[in-house]
Amino acid sequence: MTEFLKITIDKFTFNVATDRYYNEEGVWALAQGNRVRIGISDFLQQRSGDVAFAEIKPQGTVLAVGDETAVIETVKVNISLSSPVSGSIVEINPLMETAPEIINQDPYGEGWLAIIEATQWESDSSRLLDPHAYYSRIQIQAEESV
Amino acid sequence: MRQADVIIVPCSGIGKPYGTVSREAAYEITEELRPDQTQLVPLSLLVLGDEATHSIVERNPAITIDGCKLACATKMVKECGGQVAHNIAVLDVYRRHKQLKPQGIAILNEGGLKLAHALAEEILPMADQLIEIARKGEQNG
Repeated sequence: MTEFLKITIDKFTFNVATDRYYNEEGVWALAQGNRVRIGISDFLQQRSGDVAFAEIKPQGTVLAVGDETAVIETVKVNISLSSPVSGSIVEINPLMETAPEIINQDPYGEGWLAIIEATQWESDSSRLLDPHAYYSRIQIQAEESV
Repeated sequence: MRQADVIIVPCSGIGKPYGTVSREAAYEITEELRPDQTQLVPLSLLVLGDEATHSIVERNPAITIDGCKLACATKMVKECGGQVAHNIAVLDVYRRHKQLKPQGIAILNEGGLKLAHALAEEILPMADQLIEIARKGEQNG
C-alpha cells in the first residue's frame, strides 16, 4: 500500500507518494523491474486544474530522458511532460483516451500515463528526486504560489 | 422573478472561461431558445439567500451547468432544497468538441462561443423534457 508525505498549505493538501521517484516537473516514475510506470504528481495535477485531454506518445516511441512523453490539456494550461527515463513506451493507459479526468481523481494509481521499458533505469533513477527531495521542492513552490 | 417551468442555474465562476461558457449557454436557452418556459437563476442570489430565488428553486426542476469539478451550481441547488433534474459539466461537453477550445473571460473567443452553443444544444432536449412533464402535470390538474 502506497504511503504519502503530506503538505498542507493554506486550504490545499498535496500528497507525495513515497514509493517512487520524481523529475523536476512532477512526473513520477515507479519501477517494476525494467518496466517503469509514469504519471504526474498530486501537486502538479492540482496546480494544473481539471484535465480535459491527455495525449501520450504512441506505443513504441523511443525516448531519452527529457523527451516529451505526453501533453496534457487542462482547463488552465497545456503542459508538456518530459520522460523521467530513457526507453520505449510499451503500454499506454487506455483511460487517457476515454476518461483522462482520472489523472485528477487518482494521480498515483489509476491515473498513470504510460509504461516505459527502461534501458538504463539505474543511472536514470540516480538523477531523479527521491520523495523527500521532491517534497522539499514543492513545499517551496506551493508556499510561493499561495 | 416570474414563474417558469424549468430553471437553469449556471456556474458563477467569474474570470474563468468555462464559467463564462456556462452562462452564455444559459442565456441562449433562457433568452432565445425557450424564453417563455425557462428562467435563469443566478447562483449569487442563492448564495446570498434571496428568498424569492430560493422559493423558485424549491418549486421548479433545475438544470445545473457546472464550470469545474467543484460543481457549485449543483451543490447550491441541492443545499437550497431544489431538485437537480439534470446537471451538465462544461468540461464534458468540451471533451466532445475538442476543436472548440474556450479562451477569454469577459469576451469569449469564437471557440468558446461555439462551445456555448453546443452546450445549449445539449441542454435543450433536457429542458424540453422537463417542460413537457410540467405541461402534462398542468393538464392533469
